Amino acid sequence: MPINIDEDNLKHGVLGLVIALVEIIKDAINLQAMKRMEGGSLSEAEMERLGEALMDLDIAIDEIKKEQGVTESVKSVRDGLDSIVDDVLDKMINPDRWRKEAEEKGL
Amino acid sequence: MAEARYLYCIAGGQEGLTLGNIGIEGNNVYSIAYKDLFAIVHNCPAEPYKSEDKEKVKLWLATHAHVVDTVWESFGTVLPLGFDTIIKGEEGISPDQSMKLWLMNDYDNLKRKLAKLDGKAEFGVQILWDPKIISENLVEMNPEIKKLGEEIKSKSKGLAYMYKQKLENLLKKELEKEAENNFNNFYAQIKACVEEIKVEKTKKSEENKQMLINLSCLLIKGTSRILGEELEKINNIKGFSVRFTGPWPPYSFV
Repeated sequence: MPINIDEDNLKHGVLGLVIALVEIIKDAINLQAMKRMEGGSLSEAEMERLGEALMDLDIAIDEIKKEQGVTESVKSVRDGLDSIVDDVLDKMINPDRWRKEAEEKGL
Repeated sequence: MAEARYLYCIAGGQEGLTLGNIGIEGNNVYSIAYKDLFAIVHNCPAEPYKSEDKEKVKLWLATHAHVVDTVWESFGTVLPLGFDTIIKGEEGISPDQSMKLWLMNDYDNLKRKLAKLDGKAEFGVQILWDPKIISENLVEMNPEIKKLGEEIKSKSKGLAYMYKQKLENLLKKELEKEAENNFNNFYAQIKACVEEIKVEKTKKSEENKQMLINLSCLLIKGTSRILGEELEKINNIKGFSVRFTGPWPPYSFV
């Protein structure tokens, strides 16, 4: 995957990557929170606090993205990661594809 | 030095042909015959056409398609080959001989395929939907989701956030079920109007649209009206849109 690096877009790129990862971790936390909520192991007060904290996190991330102008950058990192995962899954479901690619590369 | 032959397509018939300099990079396109099959080629070096320049590659692809189209229009039936199919000369054999050997080795298969594709054309069908519109419908139709939406309005900030997440997850699941149902229904609907059908990978589409289904369909030339009518029905459903392209030479069914 060729990456064009210069000083400006290096900072930009690194920040985009970091925020994309923060978002992915936040999604994982959300998932856990939902599980706890569905599982009934949270009191109403706990759910309220959790909900508020997650909401604040959401807002903070959005603000950082706007201030730093990396909203597009973050989206494209996540889209890129999505398609890599898609690709790997596709090959697991369809091992013929691995084989074909390996053959084309002369392996 | 021209050590290989760039192969555009295979056609059947007794007379050879020359198409002139309509090939990639202005090369002369002509035919090499074996019995009653011939390969449409141009002379090229023994390596694939590669370039970093996207515009150049686009031009090459368009030229390839144009040559195949021209042959298709003249002969009615072709076996189109993909871009960059190149037959090399072997040790001690001329590239022309290599091409004939290639035709000879696969003769029965090629004849069979040509017969199968005779008088048929390929059409592309893509059905897209607007997830927002469909989601709105689902919320209306689904009492559980609708109730949840109402409840959220009366909750405190934090709780509202949590319940909103729950709603979005439910909605996502319903959307996925809708997508699967629609896929199966449309597939069956379309399959009934075509000779042969192939499922292709869906592609990323514009911002507010999602591609549900991407199909290559083989039809007898001139019979696309029924398919067109079915697709029109689907296009008229709120939130759905259809892209119907063709006729093309039958690239996907070779």
